[in-house]
Amino acid sequence: MTMIASEPGEHAARPPSAPARWRGWLLDRASLLIPCLMLLALLAVYGSMREGVFTLDELNLDTAAAMTLMLAATGQTIVLLRGGIDLSIGGMISLGTVIAATQFGDGGATTLLWSVLIVLLGAVVGMLNGALITVLRLQPFLVTLATWSILAGTALIILPIDGGSLPSGWMAFGSGSWLGLASPVWLLILLLAFWFWFKRTRTGIAIKATGSNERSAFLSGVSPLAINLWTYGLSGVFAALAALYLTTQTGAGSPTIGKDYILPSVAAAVIGGISLFGGRGGLVGTIIGAYILTIIGNLVFVLSISSYWQPIASGVILLIAVLASSLAEKSSRRNLS
Amino acid sequence: MPDFLEALSVAKRYGGIVALSDATLKARSGEVHALLGENGAGKSTFIQILAGAVRADSGSITLGGERFAVRNPEEAQRLGVAAVFQELSLIPDLTVAENIFFRREPLSPLRTARAGAMREATAELFARYRFPAIRPDQELRRLTLAERQVVEIAKALARDPRVLILDEATSALAPRETEWLLGLSRDLAAEGKLVIYISHRLGEVRRIADRVTVFRNGATVAAYDTASVDDDTIIADMLGRQMERLYPERRNTTTGRIALSVKGLSVENRLADLDLDLREGEVLGVAGLQGHGQRELFQALFGAARASGAIEVWGKPRTIRSPRDALSGRDGLALVPEDRRNHGLLLAKSVRENLTLSVVKRFTRFGLTDPKREAKLVDDMIAQLRIKAGSPEQAAGTLSGGNQQKVIFGKMLLTDARILLLYDPTRGIDVGTKGEIFTLMRDLAARGYAILFYSSDLAELVHVADRVAVLRYGRLAAILEGAENSEHQILRAAMIDTRAA
Amino acid sequence: MNLARHRSILFAYLGLILLLVVTGLVAPGFLSPTHFRSLAVLAAFIGIVALGQTFVVIGGGIDLSVPWVLNAAAVLMTLFAHGQDAPLVWIVPLLLAAGTLVGVVNGLGVGLFGVPPIIMTLAVNVILQGGILVYTGGAPPATAPAAIQFLAVGRIAGFPVIVLLWIVLAIVATLLLSKTAFGRYLYAVGSSATVAEFSGVPTLRTSVAAYALSGFTAALAGMLLTGYSGQAYLGMGDPYLFTSIAAVAIGGASILGGSGHYVGTIAGALVLTVLTGLLPALNLSNGALLVVYGAVILVTVALASEALTDLLPRRRARRIS
Repeated sequence: MTMIASEPGEHAARPPSAPARWRGWLLDRASLLIPCLMLLALLAVYGSMREGVFTLDELNLDTAAAMTLMLAATGQTIVLLRGGIDLSIGGMISLGTVIAATQFGDGGATTLLWSVLIVLLGAVVGMLNGALITVLRLQPFLVTLATWSILAGTALIILPIDGGSLPSGWMAFGSGSWLGLASPVWLLILLLAFWFWFKRTRTGIAIKATGSNERSAFLSGVSPLAINLWTYGLSGVFAALAALYLTTQTGAGSPTIGKDYILPSVAAAVIGGISLFGGRGGLVGTIIGAYILTIIGNLVFVLSISSYWQPIASGVILLIAVLASSLAEKSSRRNLS
Repeated sequence: MPDFLEALSVAKRYGGIVALSDATLKARSGEVHALLGENGAGKSTFIQILAGAVRADSGSITLGGERFAVRNPEEAQRLGVAAVFQELSLIPDLTVAENIFFRREPLSPLRTARAGAMREATAELFARYRFPAIRPDQELRRLTLAERQVVEIAKALARDPRVLILDEATSALAPRETEWLLGLSRDLAAEGKLVIYISHRLGEVRRIADRVTVFRNGATVAAYDTASVDDDTIIADMLGRQMERLYPERRNTTTGRIALSVKGLSVENRLADLDLDLREGEVLGVAGLQGHGQRELFQALFGAARASGAIEVWGKPRTIRSPRDALSGRDGLALVPEDRRNHGLLLAKSVRENLTLSVVKRFTRFGLTDPKREAKLVDDMIAQLRIKAGSPEQAAGTLSGGNQQKVIFGKMLLTDARILLLYDPTRGIDVGTKGEIFTLMRDLAARGYAILFYSSDLAELVHVADRVAVLRYGRLAAILEGAENSEHQILRAAMIDTRAA
Repeated sequence: MNLARHRSILFAYLGLILLLVVTGLVAPGFLSPTHFRSLAVLAAFIGIVALGQTFVVIGGGIDLSVPWVLNAAAVLMTLFAHGQDAPLVWIVPLLLAAGTLVGVVNGLGVGLFGVPPIIMTLAVNVILQGGILVYTGGAPPATAPAAIQFLAVGRIAGFPVIVLLWIVLAIVATLLLSKTAFGRYLYAVGSSATVAEFSGVPTLRTSVAAYALSGFTAALAGMLLTGYSGQAYLGMGDPYLFTSIAAVAIGGASILGGSGHYVGTIAGALVLTVLTGLLPALNLSNGALLVVYGAVILVTVALASEALTDLLPRRRARRIS
């Protein structure tokens, strides 16, 4: 016998002890447990400051307030799972509100038509991002930075300042309710239903797999172009939906409003335990992250301190969340090796 | 019985490099067929062609009497050829079952993957082939490398292939799993499948293979019934006649001075209480089966792994917490790392920048780098090591493997460290460069360097090292020198418990 | 110097020249010395902020905290100085040090705790934003001291002071990148932190230094910018997030790190500024400017893409073999 195997190898498996397995289980789920605990803590504080926090009304209000961010962050979550990032949703949201505010008219068929067109536009723009990233092998950050600028510019050209008008029926969407739950809550339920369906489809699995290990996914037959078209296309669709929802709340088009959702959408996802390196996390975490960011706003309000504290609190929460999950990640990796 | 798989005169070139010139392999269904050859003999290219990952330039392949010309892995799999490569194709964040059925998930009417069905099918597959205990719903990243290897095998088997190719599949496995895989290969053959088995371990090959085909330099040189051929013949076929020219004359240049002394070195549970002395002018070999602590030893000495124990360098106690601590000039330690591309070289940067990365301070005056001094260092090293690069500005990643390794050697020598840690420095390198590296090692030893040298190729240790330290389960099993330093004795010490004696 | 390896920088300058030629044709008055001088002043602000950003990007990171480091320095400077020159003696060094310190925090978060750069610097940015808002109550006061105004809009022998300052900084940055151990280390860390670590490069120190430099230049630009606009105001840093990254990208650096040069970023800053100045001359709106910005970024990064090289007939393959 001349040679000993030449591949680098690790040690043979040794089954972990029971406490270690428990620890592993916890560390594995740390990225979702941390935001849950944070939200509970925030709610506890909020609930102790004000009455009626644990009622359906509060849920309806908070969900209505958070829904734009939730929709935008849903797209971002899918992109982050893939291991990318999408800054262009800012431009798409602005453009969506502007088109809606200038084209919807008095309601009825035109509204429906233009709503569909806006969503289609989101899909096309997103797929364009995906195609550029794949075919020219460009960085998602730069490509979507550029398309963000292009979309935001287009929005400004269409409507230089906030304005336009929306049909009154359209704006009544937020005030609708059924079984005590306001329409945004039903929207959220739909969103979660979509997610639990989508993440189990072959495409959903492939997106997560590609973010987890691109090379392995391709070796297993995943097409990079198809995956990026899906990923960024969906992100564009959700940005468009965010824009449509936003107009039901503001009743106007705003060519600059989208930028307020770019980084918060990433923040909500990251607070919710999504890894920027791809493959880890899910929409439930992101939704919790969006609620956390919204409740912070409420808290600042009831504490009757300056609203300027809100960004500070968001930033600190973001850092705590990401530090905690990166530490958990580290010790979980040490557990493994 | 007619041959089920017949590959005739298959050839493949990558740019100017000939990977395969004349590969021929004939194998029947119902047999385990071993494919043997040195690193770089063309085995990998050949099986990648079979698996559809690479397309042949010429030659003909038939499978079950029909022409076999596939363009991608999917097609190969559809025709019943599944391969388990050394590079795993698994997804860390999916479960075991999801990995096994990735891209082929059974779907519900809602087009979602049926998790329960996948788990059951996985459990069934595991039971049918008596797989080692792995939970189908566990996430892959929680598994050890050995378990992942097993999952990769399951992924291939789940497609119920007619031909299963196993490329060094046992290299990451522990003895018990290795036993299982050997048994599995026999069982599959008994079911009428063809198993193509690639391994460096002749012992395994002898136990399970019905026939062997030997590759050398991209061509088939021999094919035998395993029972009718002895090991020496196979080895001679694999090596050709290059043996004598490969290794330089070994003169003992060891002095009495101890360059590196290690006492009670431990790394987690991988390396336990190791004592070792490396002397000036000595090449000390390190041997052991895969994963018995060699890597941890090198990492610990270079400050890349946390370790406990005492280290003395040139007679002085030293604490080495980072590579930066290790690379402290003439009294330091320099490493040729195992993973050339991820640890050794900045592939996109020039040969010059790579060579001098660890010694920028040497040509910095008043805070500014001096291009002339740098050029001198670089030119000298390129000349000394005969690095074949168009110019010092050529990107390191565009060099051949052998020349990349020379750049790493040059980078290490420029640091002036006189204790060198060489981890498998000849892996995947052409024979000519191997010879140059061995000559260089002996020259350096003669000039008073102290060299710690791990190789996965035992022959290298026997022919180049003065003494060989054999590790077994993270402990020093033996130190062999003189007549004792033979492949036979090394393997004995690596595989058989000698501590009791 | 090997031109092929700096191809992307070359593209940036070719683009700039092309842009200037086109500008000269469509708007003849545009390139008059006076107008060009005012463009150079504007470019200097982008160039100074993008200096630190260039270092961070070469090191494989990104600094999103630029806007509010800049804004904080501007606001605090006017607040502390009350329009007086004398206190600047301690204010300027103090705020430069504070900006540097913010960078150090960024660098430690990224290098020591493994927080992704986007998240770390984003969080620091919003915390600074909130902090300044709380501190000023949302209404920053006061005008910029005369000395600062001189630095921003003054001239020495007809030459804008800030452009002179920019030139000095550019020389320092170029020396740092091309001629020092720090520069070597930075490129190495950006190419592969693991290889750098195995080569004995002080990786943590190197990346912290890059972020620190970015904090420093953002703070410096913030103070100078108050001199230009005569006062500090909230939100004045916001445009510089986009422009600093855009200048770096147009200048040919890979956002993945390990490549690029400040020399390229200078071209990037000039391209952005000329575009800003050109579009009003053509009666185009702000929206059109954003569209053009986006298109320019796309085209330049696409031109620098390896994929494009693969699609073109090449001489490179022969050189490799």
